[in-house]
Amino acid sequence: MCLHSDGAMLKAHIIKKRRELNVDVSLELKKGRSLGLFGASGAGKSTVLACIAGIEEPDGGYVKLGDLQLFPPSLPLHKRPVGYLTQEPGLFPHLRVSENISFGIPRKLATDKEQIQWIEMLRDRLQLGSLWHAPAALISGGQARRVGLARMLARKPPLVLLDEPFAGLDRHLVRELIDDLVLWSRTLGFSMIAVDHQAEVLRRLCPQEVIALEDGKIIQRGDWDELCTSPATPLLRSLLAAL
Amino acid sequence: MKMNHRWIARAGATLFALALLYPFTALFARIGPWQWGDDIRGPAMSSVRVSLLLTGLAMVIIVAVGTPVAAYIARCQTRERLLWQAVLLVPILLPPLALGILLTLAYGPYGTVGSWLEHFGVVMTNNATAFVSTQVYVGMGYYVLGAVAAFDAVPLMLQKQAALLGLTPLKVFLRVTLPLSRLGLAVALSIAWVRAIGEFGAVVVTAYYPAGMPVQLWVNLQSFGLPAVMPLLVVFLAVALPLPWLVHVLAQRRRHA
Repeated sequence: MCLHSDGAMLKAHIIKKRRELNVDVSLELKKGRSLGLFGASGAGKSTVLACIAGIEEPDGGYVKLGDLQLFPPSLPLHKRPVGYLTQEPGLFPHLRVSENISFGIPRKLATDKEQIQWIEMLRDRLQLGSLWHAPAALISGGQARRVGLARMLARKPPLVLLDEPFAGLDRHLVRELIDDLVLWSRTLGFSMIAVDHQAEVLRRLCPQEVIALEDGKIIQRGDWDELCTSPATPLLRSLLAAL
Repeated sequence: MKMNHRWIARAGATLFALALLYPFTALFARIGPWQWGDDIRGPAMSSVRVSLLLTGLAMVIIVAVGTPVAAYIARCQTRERLLWQAVLLVPILLPPLALGILLTLAYGPYGTVGSWLEHFGVVMTNNATAFVSTQVYVGMGYYVLGAVAAFDAVPLMLQKQAALLGLTPLKVFLRVTLPLSRLGLAVALSIAWVRAIGEFGAVVVTAYYPAGMPVQLWVNLQSFGLPAVMPLLVVFLAVALPLPWLVHVLAQRRRHA
């Protein structure tokens, strides 16, 4: 995938009009970099991710991923090289855990040695060995989150979108997963946009850059230190108090 | 639910079932010895073959045509969907006899389409084609409406997730939508089967020949009286019930898996 001439991998301007909220957000992301979207509930963070993924269609603006125009016109979902993990991981309940994880792998790659090793590594790192043959409908919410993460990463997408990916997981596992994601992002070269209402989690996951949203608009962008030392609004200050 | 509450509920359900099955006690009514001689058994078994084979063929057509139509309607916006559902309700609502008359007028030799088909040698009255097409017509609405409900029950987000994992719309349908809606589809099919195999009013007008079981019941009643009806009724239950019942057994197994 070719990058934009200025080195940006993703360029997006999302306009989404809703009865309760108008979202108008512009962002750019370079290859292998991570970006955190931070703000209170209902600020429009998840809407931005859903529009980039194509789950929701923006009312205006554009989304470009390298030389691929995702919007407008809206590129069909199956042609988007995007990994998207939501709060509900959306596992296929009629399949086993292993079948869920290899679901998006093209048949010709299913026997590829490197691909098999990558999936085995995901299985081990995400502690899915004991669940491997379990029906996806019968595993717990936290386990489903880990399976969803493995399924998304199995295809090695160049852009990974994470919407509160660690809700429901214990702290120790969250810390390990963040370290893994940061490492994989570096080694595989995928870019990452994450949304989380916990500033601490988001800072560890996306230490390089953060965008703060309020009422669907960007109120501040930069690095975490800037955000913490001079937050743009009292609400943002209170949200960052945990750091 | 407490133990005594469960017993009260079970007693209520038993009363309901008894009321539902009560008419079948008429099978033991004093109507004289049942008749199952050669002159009755031959046409009766022929009607069983006609009903099973042609209803089976009608079901294949209903599934092949109705499934994609239902998949389309399930993804329509509310207004368009309501329009399609109204269209599907029309043949369901109409009394079967009236439906048979309309079908004969439309597809018979005096109808526009019927005369055009006859021009190509396709006769649409009193033959297997008429029998099957009538059954397709009476069963289609039931299957499609049931299938739309089955597709509706599959979360849209799961289908979008599958697409984001690189599956084309057809593959999403085959690997996610269809497996997750198969029990609902099976129930829809069993209802269409029950409706079609028991159809009398429309079929008696469009396809008196070849006689299926419902028409043969009527013929037996007219020619020989009740003693010739009862054995065929038992045969009818024995051959028509297993398919829908099996579907419900499978659904039950799935629920408790």
